[in-house]
Amino acid sequence: MADIQTYSQDAGWKNVVLRGLLYLVLILFAIYYLFPLIVMISTSLKSLDEIREGSLISLPRVITFDAWNYAWNEACVGVECTGIKIYFWNSVKMAVPAVLISTFLGAINGYALTKFRFKGANIVFALLLFGCFIPFQVVLLPMSQVLGKLGLASSTPGLVMVHVVYGLCFTTLFFRNYYVSIPDELVKAATIDGAGFFTIFWRIILPISTPIIVVSVIWQFTQIWNDFLFGASFASGANAPMTVALNNIVNTTTGVKQYNVDMAAALLTGLPTLLVYVLAGKYFVRGLTAGSVKG
Amino acid sequence: MASLTLDKVRKAFGPVEVLKEINLSIDDGEFLVLVGPSGCGKSTLLNLIAGLETSTDGEIRIGDRVINDVHPKDRNIAMVFQSYALYPNMTVRKNITFGLEIRGVSNAERDKAVADVAKLLQIEPLLDRKPAQLSGGQRQRVAMGRALVRDPDIFLFDEPLSNLDAKLRVDMRTEIKKLHQRLGSTIVYVTHDQIEAMTLASRIAVMKGGILQQFDTPQNIYERPNNMFVAGFIGSPSMNFMDATLRDENGTLSVHIDREGSPISLPLFEAPESYRAYAGKKVVFGIRPEALTHKRSSSDSADSQYVNFDSKVEVIEPTGADTMTVIEIAGKEIVARVRPDRAPTPGESMTFSADMSQISLFDPDSELRI
Repeated sequence: MADIQTYSQDAGWKNVVLRGLLYLVLILFAIYYLFPLIVMISTSLKSLDEIREGSLISLPRVITFDAWNYAWNEACVGVECTGIKIYFWNSVKMAVPAVLISTFLGAINGYALTKFRFKGANIVFALLLFGCFIPFQVVLLPMSQVLGKLGLASSTPGLVMVHVVYGLCFTTLFFRNYYVSIPDELVKAATIDGAGFFTIFWRIILPISTPIIVVSVIWQFTQIWNDFLFGASFASGANAPMTVALNNIVNTTTGVKQYNVDMAAALLTGLPTLLVYVLAGKYFVRGLTAGSVKG
Repeated sequence: MASLTLDKVRKAFGPVEVLKEINLSIDDGEFLVLVGPSGCGKSTLLNLIAGLETSTDGEIRIGDRVINDVHPKDRNIAMVFQSYALYPNMTVRKNITFGLEIRGVSNAERDKAVADVAKLLQIEPLLDRKPAQLSGGQRQRVAMGRALVRDPDIFLFDEPLSNLDAKLRVDMRTEIKKLHQRLGSTIVYVTHDQIEAMTLASRIAVMKGGILQQFDTPQNIYERPNNMFVAGFIGSPSMNFMDATLRDENGTLSVHIDREGSPISLPLFEAPESYRAYAGKKVVFGIRPEALTHKRSSSDSADSQYVNFDSKVEVIEPTGADTMTVIEIAGKEIVARVRPDRAPTPGESMTFSADMSQISLFDPDSELRI
């Protein structure tokens, strides 16, 4: 008995030490990842004088939102000093339709590929999947030619199209994998009940697709909002999305570098995707694992 | 309600032929059960009738109408699926009326129809629930309700009871039978459970490997199986098979089983003419466990012709009503059905009676009934 007690006491100590080490490592990593964000936020809340005098990591003595206001309303993007707000709306006008259209088309694709299997469905799916692995740079030239021919060059609708085409591969993959786990008998039953392709889609398939719609929307929104290359290539000037404008703000400042404005603009650019994750993040994880377990 | 005819129906997926020339015909109001082991093509056949798959060849008729190229929704059929396939986003009421709604039936008529069906199936309190809130048996009822509400020509059931627990399965089986008797509807029912087939069917189609093995009434299939597969598949415990020789002894045919030490000779007093051709040849002797019992004499029952023989008992399996007694004859395990009070103890020797009026003989090569 005594032996066992000392043994378990030893084990207890060992456990505490190991657990302590584990938390130490986790905390270090958390700091490592959070640090840049903290610096950005604190810098954006300082005045330019304070930045010059203080150190990078010191917290602001006086909190001021001047830099945020300036970035939003007055910052110069290239030669236009209109602030980042018009580009924010550019990004919204690009991202919202592109996300909705690509998600909708992905849903239809996934539905057709799993529940209305046609000859060559597997090949079509394989080719679509292949699209996920094509790097952005490869399609730049042909895409600009297509956009030019369609008369969509340097416009927001053109950018929407590019993102829809590019996102289709991913959304199709999401929806196909989700619909594979939905029993075919559901579609058969609806067919016998007299429902056609689109009736079944609208009335039965789409209403049970919420988890995967959330996944697709988050994924597509993040991709499209954060995209820089397509934005820089296909929409210049006043039509540029926010990411491009941010780059221009940071790179075109002459004279004194306004770090606080740069930081505020960068935070403003990153805020929407952050918000989407905070609001729908748990559905994201749930949706990604959906179908892997019986439900 | 209508009759159903399948005329030389074939189905192939590429080079794989899953159904080979199926000919079936049932009358209005019949209960046809398609039974067979998994992969025998029974579900494919049902899908062909439903129109969910198209046949490669042959003709399918409901009544006098050829329906090969008719869309499932226009065939006037209703189907109950193994997984029930209830629409998870709709309430029970919506599930039942979805088909009517698609067909443009008016609100008032829909309400009446759903009320009637709910009353018939006793699911009135469930109408506003979602399928996820129902138990297995309740889902089963809703799935049947969805079929019933349409009042179709033919009901198709695809293994509807196999997802239920044993007790509920028996209850629902009875209920389906009652429903059939009450509505007099034409039903095609797929199952792999031979007991379901026997209890429900007015006629059974036994299938294996895409080939229709036998199409007959349950009693005929049980008593006069076409071949060794049907004989072994229908009935539990299954029919005993023994290698034997048919001998002509002074005009009386007898089944001779070579057993080490003491061969068994079982005379056939009323042998059909077809047996004559096999005199002196090898046959497979088939006898059901209930025709092989403890010692009895022909005076016990007028129609029976009992022949006695002795055998050592290997194992006994009491079931309550009867005791299944396993004996070994010529290297084969044979099951006899013995009354519990006459049950032997394993290891002892006992006299058994074979009822020779209830036997089957098969050709050992073709495995067909002689």
